[in-house]
Amino acid sequence: MIAALASLRPSQTAVPRDIGFVEWFFDADTWTGTTGILASLQDTVILCAAVTLVAVIVSVPVAAVLAHLRRAEVSSTWLVSISRAVPTFAIAALLVPWSLARGWGFEPWPIFIALLLLALVPIYLNTYTAIRQLLEGPVDAARALGYSERSILARVEFALASSLIFSGIRVAAIQVVATEPIRAFLGGDGLGRYVRDGFGQNNNTLVIGGIVLIGGLAALTGLTFVALERLVLPNGVRRLSRQQGDTSP
Amino acid sequence: MTPGSLPRALVAEATNPIIKWEWVVEEWDQIWQAVVEHVTLTMMAMALGMIVSSLLAAIALRYRWTMTPITATTSLIYTLPSVALFALLAPVFGNLSRWTAVLPLAGYTLLILVTNIVAGFQAVPPSVRDAADGMGMSRARRVWTVDLPLAVPFIVTGVRIATVSTVGLVTVAAIIGQGGLGRLIFSGLRRAFWTPMTVGASLSIILALVLDAVILVTGLWLAPWQRRRKGATP
Repeated sequence: MIAALASLRPSQTAVPRDIGFVEWFFDADTWTGTTGILASLQDTVILCAAVTLVAVIVSVPVAAVLAHLRRAEVSSTWLVSISRAVPTFAIAALLVPWSLARGWGFEPWPIFIALLLLALVPIYLNTYTAIRQLLEGPVDAARALGYSERSILARVEFALASSLIFSGIRVAAIQVVATEPIRAFLGGDGLGRYVRDGFGQNNNTLVIGGIVLIGGLAALTGLTFVALERLVLPNGVRRLSRQQGDTSP
Repeated sequence: MTPGSLPRALVAEATNPIIKWEWVVEEWDQIWQAVVEHVTLTMMAMALGMIVSSLLAAIALRYRWTMTPITATTSLIYTLPSVALFALLAPVFGNLSRWTAVLPLAGYTLLILVTNIVAGFQAVPPSVRDAADGMGMSRARRVWTVDLPLAVPFIVTGVRIATVSTVGLVTVAAIIGQGGLGRLIFSGLRRAFWTPMTVGASLSIILALVLDAVILVTGLWLAPWQRRRKGATP
């Protein structure tokens, strides 16, 4: 059954089965060319970055404005319960026939939309709760100083909440990167194809390669965001979030 | 990424109807079997997840300093890519073993379950706890007859979220030949015959909603005061 699955696309990564992982992984030819690791990595990174970016552009403003206006509290608590339960694979699978019927092919829309739904929720939730749970003091002070509502949101609430908002983006990005490999099993490519082709050709070298690459990219994503956080956020804001006890994974 | 690289047959078949009801009637046995397998895998993963996370939560509540490492570890497990984890365990247990699917699935539930169990016990009002101690209850008796019932709403919430997300993840286990409804999705995809795919994907979403409702009702039955309180407080 697995072999048949892999035949969905012409196998692009034909590798002799007796080659060892180290020999395969550290061979320059493995990495270059149109079917090399770098090309797959590029596929994956571009898709994940696009999904995360769109999710940020959509979620953050909506959540920030709603939280500032103290609106949509019930629907936001309801979101908490589905935040970890978006069935990405099923959604993407449902969208494949729809996408094909329109001539858009397997990629990128079904997986893009499914991953986007996955990413929207943590970013929305973190932004909403971060702004909602701020102390009244600074906001009232700004209001008394004559700040407009818009600058209260942009320069006080948003600034104080930025650390938690950022960790929402980090969680979303990590989940997107960790889920993206299913794309290879839905007629797409990306790093997941090494696992798929490895199963298809009964070749453990490729499977291990896929695991290392997927796991490596997920770890790297986490580290990148930690580094970005240090770089972008002011020290005071980060200290504030530690005091508030940021427990997001 | 380019449509030109797709196998021609698949593009030609793209005009298949999304669902053919005759197939659903004809193949109902196969569909039902997939549902049963899906539920079984979910239950096994949840049972294992509950056992492990109860232990972890008990440790975290008894020895407070273990909370941070336990949260860190379960968070790390939670962020492991599912495709990689299933692929990693496939050679260890073999494709045909259920455990290849159940172990990662159980692992993904830990973060949610531990967090909720701990939150539930921590939410027990100190006055209630003092009252129980004052009545001379032993520690074990207090935990079982006072703390645990009061923590039930939190635990049930955790179980709901974990179950729904497990139902979604079970479909991914189809890449290692397990995965109930996920196998329908793949068999449809392979033949460019969309009916099994639509059926598998929609049923897995419906199944998640049904299980969620069942657990919600069970939770209300276990802790009926939640309903009453909702009416009482403004």
